[in-house]
Amino acid sequence: MSIIGTSVQRKEARNKVSGRARYTNDLTIPGTWHAVVVPARQAHAHILSIDTEKAKQIAGVKAVITGDDVSVLTGDVIEDRPPLAKDKVRYWGEPIALIVARDEATAQRAAGMITVRYRPLPVINSIGDGIADNAALVHEKNGGYKVATPPAYPKKQTNIADEANVEKGDVERAWPGSDITVDIHVSLPQIDHAAMEPRVAKAEILPDGRVLIHCSSQAPFEVRKLIAKYFKLNPGQVVVEVPLVGGAFGGKSSVQLEVLAYIASKAVGGRVVKIVNTRETDMASCPGGMGLEADISLAARQDGHLLAAKMRFYMDIGAYTDSAPRVARAIAAQCTGPYHIANLHTDVFCVYTNHTYTTALRGFGHMPMTFAVERAMDELAQKLNMDPLRLREINALKPGQLTPTKARLTESNLGHLPLTIYKMRELIGWKQGKVERVGEHRVRVQGVAAFWKTSSSPPNAISGAIITMNSDGSVNLSIGAVEFGPATKTTAAQILAAQLRIPLDKVFVHEDVNTHVDPEHWKTVASMSTYMVGRAVIDAANDIINQLKSLGAAVLRCSPDDLDFGDEKVYVRDDPSIALKFSQLALGYKYKEGDSIGGQLIGRGRFMIRHLNLLDQQTGKGRPGPAWTVGVQAVEVEYDQNTHQYRILKAASVVDAGRVINPAAARGQLMGGMNMGLGVASREGIHYGHDGQFLNNQFRSYRVMRVGEQADEYLIDFVETPQIDAPFGARPLGEHGILAIGAALANALSRAAGVPLNTLPITPEAIWRARRHQS
Amino acid sequence: MKTLTRPEQVTLTINGEGRDVVIYPGETLLYTLRGDALGLTGAKPGCENGDCGACTVLIDNIPTKSCMVLTAEVENRHVTTVEGLEDAPIQHAFVDNSAFQCGYCTSGFIMVGHALSQHADAPDDSRVVEWLRSNICRCTGYQEIYDAVRSVCQDSTAP
Amino acid sequence: MIPLSLRYYRADSVDEALELFHKISHEHGKPIFYGGGTEILTRARVQDIDVDAVIDLKGIPALKIHQDKGGRLEFGAALHLTDVAEKNLWPLLTATADRVADHTSRGQITLGGNLLSILPYREAILPFLISDSATARVAGPNGVRTRPFSELFDETLRLSPGEFLISAGVDQDEALGPRFKSRKMTRIDWIDYPLVTVVVTRNPRGAIRAAFSGWTTYPFSSPRIDRALSDGKRSPEERAKEALHHMPAPAVSDIHGSREYREFVTEYTLAGMLRELEDTP
Repeated sequence: MSIIGTSVQRKEARNKVSGRARYTNDLTIPGTWHAVVVPARQAHAHILSIDTEKAKQIAGVKAVITGDDVSVLTGDVIEDRPPLAKDKVRYWGEPIALIVARDEATAQRAAGMITVRYRPLPVINSIGDGIADNAALVHEKNGGYKVATPPAYPKKQTNIADEANVEKGDVERAWPGSDITVDIHVSLPQIDHAAMEPRVAKAEILPDGRVLIHCSSQAPFEVRKLIAKYFKLNPGQVVVEVPLVGGAFGGKSSVQLEVLAYIASKAVGGRVVKIVNTRETDMASCPGGMGLEADISLAARQDGHLLAAKMRFYMDIGAYTDSAPRVARAIAAQCTGPYHIANLHTDVFCVYTNHTYTTALRGFGHMPMTFAVERAMDELAQKLNMDPLRLREINALKPGQLTPTKARLTESNLGHLPLTIYKMRELIGWKQGKVERVGEHRVRVQGVAAFWKTSSSPPNAISGAIITMNSDGSVNLSIGAVEFGPATKTTAAQILAAQLRIPLDKVFVHEDVNTHVDPEHWKTVASMSTYMVGRAVIDAANDIINQLKSLGAAVLRCSPDDLDFGDEKVYVRDDPSIALKFSQLALGYKYKEGDSIGGQLIGRGRFMIRHLNLLDQQTGKGRPGPAWTVGVQAVEVEYDQNTHQYRILKAASVVDAGRVINPAAARGQLMGGMNMGLGVASREGIHYGHDGQFLNNQFRSYRVMRVGEQADEYLIDFVETPQIDAPFGARPLGEHGILAIGAALANALSRAAGVPLNTLPITPEAIWRARRHQS
Repeated sequence: MKTLTRPEQVTLTINGEGRDVVIYPGETLLYTLRGDALGLTGAKPGCENGDCGACTVLIDNIPTKSCMVLTAEVENRHVTTVEGLEDAPIQHAFVDNSAFQCGYCTSGFIMVGHALSQHADAPDDSRVVEWLRSNICRCTGYQEIYDAVRSVCQDSTAP
Repeated sequence: MIPLSLRYYRADSVDEALELFHKISHEHGKPIFYGGGTEILTRARVQDIDVDAVIDLKGIPALKIHQDKGGRLEFGAALHLTDVAEKNLWPLLTATADRVADHTSRGQITLGGNLLSILPYREAILPFLISDSATARVAGPNGVRTRPFSELFDETLRLSPGEFLISAGVDQDEALGPRFKSRKMTRIDWIDYPLVTVVVTRNPRGAIRAAFSGWTTYPFSSPRIDRALSDGKRSPEERAKEALHHMPAPAVSDIHGSREYREFVTEYTLAGMLRELEDTP
């Protein structure tokens, strides 16, 4: 049986149930000093003075660093963020000083001694505040910062950090020809990644000039690149090591704490310094997930066919841009959802606010975008009195059609949404969205929503793989992708085992990532590891197969073409009894006489994304990713019309996975994604006080799902339309469980409560309020 | 009376073994366990506020959030950490049910599940849920964790 | 990691605890009596409390009393909330205390810690508030005294510096006589602070008593509310609505819920509880 399509245990499973799996904060070098971040306690204010004297006098304090000591500006796309606030603070929780001490308690005590004098400024506490006429500016210099990674189009003298547009067909001409239109406004708060492992970074600067960084990051190569760039080092000098990561969800793709750790180490002569976030700083000081306000207008014919759409998305990116311009383009490029809309005008704005800045969060903007579009689709279905799944089915994008950014779709790059819809009907026992009465004031209803997503990766993203063979014919696999939960390393091992036709337990994957020894991998994001790493692994496997064959051919005195391999041997195709074990070739072949040829077999593989381009500023034309993953999600809820409490009975996903490589892992990813998406839709959200204070930076106030609150039943099925250029046809899958499930919940509850629910989270109070507002 | 006013050596019973460790009076058990002397890093800091359960260990077989206990309190009591489990059924159940992804919350959930499985009374479903609500997992759909724990607890409702 | 430097004392007797407190205070220390520790440690971690010595009371036998004797139920302050639930001497207290925090935390939180919490909730106090026979045994510089709850309670149990709670008691007849309901209503999560926790009892003669937590910054009961709820001529819905007019303070608005929503939830919860108490014989 092939290892592909088989549920295998993750490689590190036994370690994880024994407490022996090691994360960044589990390893401490003796003599490590500790740094703590002193957070701002104003959301928008001029810094008049920072008194560090008392803190410096505490025994054991080694350095106190403020923004005045650091001249660099950082940022993935736009370099707008000082690592430590300088002149003014722009969000409550912004790092304002860094204290290095011989132990954490001393550093924390010293942090409490820092006194800052502020002159408060008007707080931009919402998107509305940010785009209002004469709004206070979060960045007076907006438009003047260096754009490190174009494109980004900041607007001077405004809080618009960037804008992305998509224009297709002619909306104004198409609109009057429609029979029906819907207009909705949706509003989603900022959220937090809430990975269970708070972020950690350690830095050490060795006398030989090397900089060693240990961190809980999804992007070790990005850490290396940016540290080298900001501090004018040779990239080879910077060595970044990442062991297992305790959950990430995009939050560890941004580079922040690593820079602070470097600054701290630098201030104390290069000694090892560790920064461990508390949960409070992890939430309030480090980037979260964006908030969104969107206006969606759809125009359709009476038969349900979409004719045109107008969309405006306003992202609450917080005080700094980080990856927001990339997210804005991802939203723009996929703004229609997986539907064909010939006439389209979409504007996406990144709005600076005095909220915690934001970065990628599972789905890279597609979750909030999908919520907006799918709420509009459901309102349209209700207006048309049409089965909501049917509406989605007839509008599904098809091969040959163009995406909003005019990328051409093929069966390979798109997959098959109608088939997923077909399967969903069966899977959940579809009742057309009808409200079913099950008690005096209790009803049950189902809601659906569909999604699509592509990688939005840079056009030059790369990956690599190195295979070395051991004396027994087993192999070591070195890749640059980090393991933070989705079994990325195990999937890579499965692909290698399949290619070399060897058992999975003969493949040993380097669990950590070390930028000095592992080949460069863009970032472990966008659910792209199976595709990118997988392609590199296949390339490396082919390399090692060629080496096995050419060495085998020399020994067996035949042409490499005469050889095939399997069962850990290379053998003559027409007489398999003439064979050599991998183990006989692994470290070179030794003849009976003792002389030897070959040397260790080392396979090299690489991969680079192809045919992608940046989106055109005016029209948005461009290709944002190699392929899309499509799917449909549904929930069934039971809702109490008196109390507005509800229970999620079923949560279902049907995804076109291309090919499922590890069914157990794939189901796990989808269940986890659905649970997170339902949590986001039902209870999560950052609360900011009237003064911009982050009010809920603990798990007792930032609520996430707990056991017993998950759906009573998870239902999962797959369609397998191969993506031809992907390993075994497998499409990205890791993020996707989260994408449309919240919209499906909102669609179900909107029907159950008889009122459009377009604001997240949908708590019973939110429903009660919406109903009161309506009546 | 017990007094601890400065760093001092105390004897703790950890995973069945007496261990002499120097502790600060205000040190939490989580901190002591993970420190250089014991190096038991299976208990994880996730919030240090008693909210997430990632640091759960057993004290006299009762699940306890080790960030919310002073080490000074646990002298003469038996502390069991995930490292002290030896091939316990709950560990296999977690692997078999894919009850973890990133693994950071896993030790805490396993300790709660282990305590429940060792409990004299066979728990009903609502009790399993009530015990597991003490912990947070951000990766899984929770069903996997519930199934793993349920599978190692006798079912009181079974015939 | 606790950044404060603390000294740790574990007292074996009531007198020892009192002496320790006196001695440390006298030497300009800042002692605090320590039960389960969850509240003190969470506050100490964020430097939100100014103490330098904790006096652990959990080793004192008197604080572990847990009995049903001579017609009195007596609950030691150092009992964990899970102990109270497992022994279940007073089902109403079990029902209320068993909804505090989460199960693991209830194995750490003590009854005394919850009754004297600085958070607004202190749910375990609600059953005592509607029991006329409730008493608190308090140790202090002037010795140990048993006092009615009603004398000590003003938004919280008013203990003086240097005093600590030994136990709380109630007459068995009063505790076990009435039918009761206890309900904690949250924003949406099972584990969360309450929007409102409501405890309602109904004695065989039909008299209703109720106590509330989460509505405002302190738990409360009120004879006026009880009178409104006991008016058997009116429907549960009418009585619940009427009761809301007699609350001692307006409902709070916070991140858990708005004032208006708290009113809505309290009203339907109260009405539902009355109906359940009165519908079934």
